[in-house]
Amino acid sequence: MPPELEGPLSLGTPAARTLATTTKTAPQTLESSPRWLLRALPWVELPAGSYRVNRRLTPTPERPDPRPVNRRGEVAIELASGHRGEPELPGTFPDYDPDPREYELSVSQAVLRIHTRVADLFSEPMDQTREQIRLTVEAIREAQERELIGNPGFGLLRNAHPAQRLTPRSGPPAPADLDNLLTRRRKTRYLLAHPLAIAAFGRQCSAAGVYPDSVEVDGSRMTAWRGVPILPCDKIPVSRSGTSAILALRVGEEDQGVVGLRPAEVPDEHLPGLSVRVMGLDERGITTYLVSAYYSAAVLVPDALGVLDDVEVYR
Amino acid sequence: MTETTDSAVPGQQLSLSTDAARNLATTTKTAPQMQEITSRWLLKLLPWVQTSGGVFRVNRRLTYTLGDGRITFSTTGAEVRVVPAELCELPMLRGFGDIEVLEALAYRFAQREVEPGDEIVREGEPVDQLVLIAHGRIGRAAQGAYGDEQNLGVLADGDHLGASMLAGGGAWEYTARARTSATLLTLSREDFQALLDRSPSLREHLEAWQDSGGRAANDHGEAAIEMSSGHSGEPTLPGTFVDYELSPREYELAVAQTVLRVHSRVSDLYNQPMNQLEQQLRLTIEALRERQEHDLINSPDFGLLHNADFSQRIRTRTGPPTPDDLDDLLVKVWKEPAFFLAHPQAIAAFGRECSKRGLYPQSTEVNGHRVPAWRGVPIFPCNKIPVSGQRMSSILLMRTGQENQGVVGLHQTGIPDEYQPSLSVRFMNINEKAVISYLVSAYYSAAVLVPDALAVLEDVEIGRED
Repeated sequence: MPPELEGPLSLGTPAARTLATTTKTAPQTLESSPRWLLRALPWVELPAGSYRVNRRLTPTPERPDPRPVNRRGEVAIELASGHRGEPELPGTFPDYDPDPREYELSVSQAVLRIHTRVADLFSEPMDQTREQIRLTVEAIREAQERELIGNPGFGLLRNAHPAQRLTPRSGPPAPADLDNLLTRRRKTRYLLAHPLAIAAFGRQCSAAGVYPDSVEVDGSRMTAWRGVPILPCDKIPVSRSGTSAILALRVGEEDQGVVGLRPAEVPDEHLPGLSVRVMGLDERGITTYLVSAYYSAAVLVPDALGVLDDVEVYR
Repeated sequence: MTETTDSAVPGQQLSLSTDAARNLATTTKTAPQMQEITSRWLLKLLPWVQTSGGVFRVNRRLTYTLGDGRITFSTTGAEVRVVPAELCELPMLRGFGDIEVLEALAYRFAQREVEPGDEIVREGEPVDQLVLIAHGRIGRAAQGAYGDEQNLGVLADGDHLGASMLAGGGAWEYTARARTSATLLTLSREDFQALLDRSPSLREHLEAWQDSGGRAANDHGEAAIEMSSGHSGEPTLPGTFVDYELSPREYELAVAQTVLRVHSRVSDLYNQPMNQLEQQLRLTIEALRERQEHDLINSPDFGLLHNADFSQRIRTRTGPPTPDDLDDLLVKVWKEPAFFLAHPQAIAAFGRECSKRGLYPQSTEVNGHRVPAWRGVPIFPCNKIPVSGQRMSSILLMRTGQENQGVVGLHQTGIPDEYQPSLSVRFMNINEKAVISYLVSAYYSAAVLVPDALAVLEDVEIGRED
């Protein structure tokens, strides 16, 4: 028989695949992001779930104080300088806010259900329970970052002092606007912006003929302005009319900056501040796990956090 | 002046000529050179994943399809028609199989030619037409919070506007204007309604599509992981599980093969100072590796240009690759971008656009090489990215690595008669003419683990001079 009339001469790949092992990836998810805010914030570990930010006394209209105040509205520490002779020195003490703000830890929780048959039988080469927990933890960490930005109680967008909120000169974020934002505080460590806002800033730079430097953060190269890296964060909202916000942060307790808060220890800890606890096994053979993350964020002094509001990202 | 001796007959040689001397000398030889060899950055930069069974499965979380594809057209002279089955690329018609209804629908599209600057739809007005772009570039703009115009990007050949008309309407969220002269196909609301009234199958399909919109999904269309955040007190927590795609994509290793023939007399006798077989093999392997890189970019099955998700493809704003376009591309792959890949001419075109704006992007160092970069992300040249007859090319941006959910190369090491990783050289036979044959095979593929690991800037004009 001529060869072209014969069928295939050897085993085809579809048939061969029935005997071969498929190399598999762990389940991939579009939802996970680099979560730069969680990586950039220094975390203060709370032994007992609450964090009190003690500040110097700042009189308010509701709570007036007869003593003079300094430039920042705090009751002044009276002192004398440049004097001659023997004037009487003012007596003083730094007064504290008698009613300081206390931060409680917030929680994100999910109840994860896994059928025992799935967990018992189908766990080679990947542990089914571990993969389910990994993906749930990813989603919880994403929710944690979203809350740290947008929560009405402790979220950074809502927690900025009104004096630290700026708006851009025209509409899109221009180099001058970021300069304005940076001059409001010492030691700005990070700028945080939506990727669209970063691109809008890039366009403004290109239009002005300026090429911002890039710096390396944690092994990744980032666009920086005046040496301060601009970290991308998709949790900062972009409104329907195309406006967003850019945050500027000083971080760390020693610099009186912004800090993340988490418990020092939780029972059944899986990751820092995150626990995975077996809830039980029901009559249908489903194991349930309670996955909880506890967190919050505190701004130690108002000028640690600045926000450039209403930046137009599409213009 | 100098006096020549009379024994010197003009033209007579006084010493050994170089021609004769060469008879005794050894010629220093190069190994055979080859113009086809390039730096093959893509092969060097991709992390390679060992695929032991020849098949690589990309498991993903269950995704409800949100994205939509491009529509193709058939052209007869100046008349343009939409290919009926292509209408299924519209999100509302995905999976709709009634070809008669699709043909009737395709027949009702009217052709419209527009000039640069013509307004096609206006923001705020009801969506009363479905517009398919057969050819041309359409810019979209919306009014911003302060009344100024916001650029929402460019649509071009195969894109569409106003698919929401099929699902009941709403209002235009942007104003669309032609940036070039363009050919459009439009379907009016009345025509569509008339067809809908006559076709129960279409009605059913659209109703089913609208019902499916209620499934809980995250911003990326993945089945949601239910959770509760920031609550106080003792609310009942939602139970959840993470669903996976039931038929995940599997990549098989592709193969590039050739049969190398060497006459036994050549390989036996002429091996000093260079081994003839080794040189023949070296050049064959270089050609195979070039083909491998070409396939990784262009293969219709796994090539990166074809494997990029439609939502990850953007068009240049004006034509040539500008800094703004590359910034737009960085928005698409904002999670840990690794490198840009562009045709050398596209890199030159980008350099011209930078210079025009007075920008000098800093180069960056990768493995001891200085390469041009944009926003700190290196731009590597790759001559396998096609340049069309109209001098249009594409620029790719990708994240790499399995741990980053990026783009990975697939290969299999440890194959029989392996000569290089995932490349084997196997002795076949010696025939009656004393010619020895070797089978040279390279196995490879590439996988995009999640869609946002790869973005393509299309319609890059590389020859614009203005």
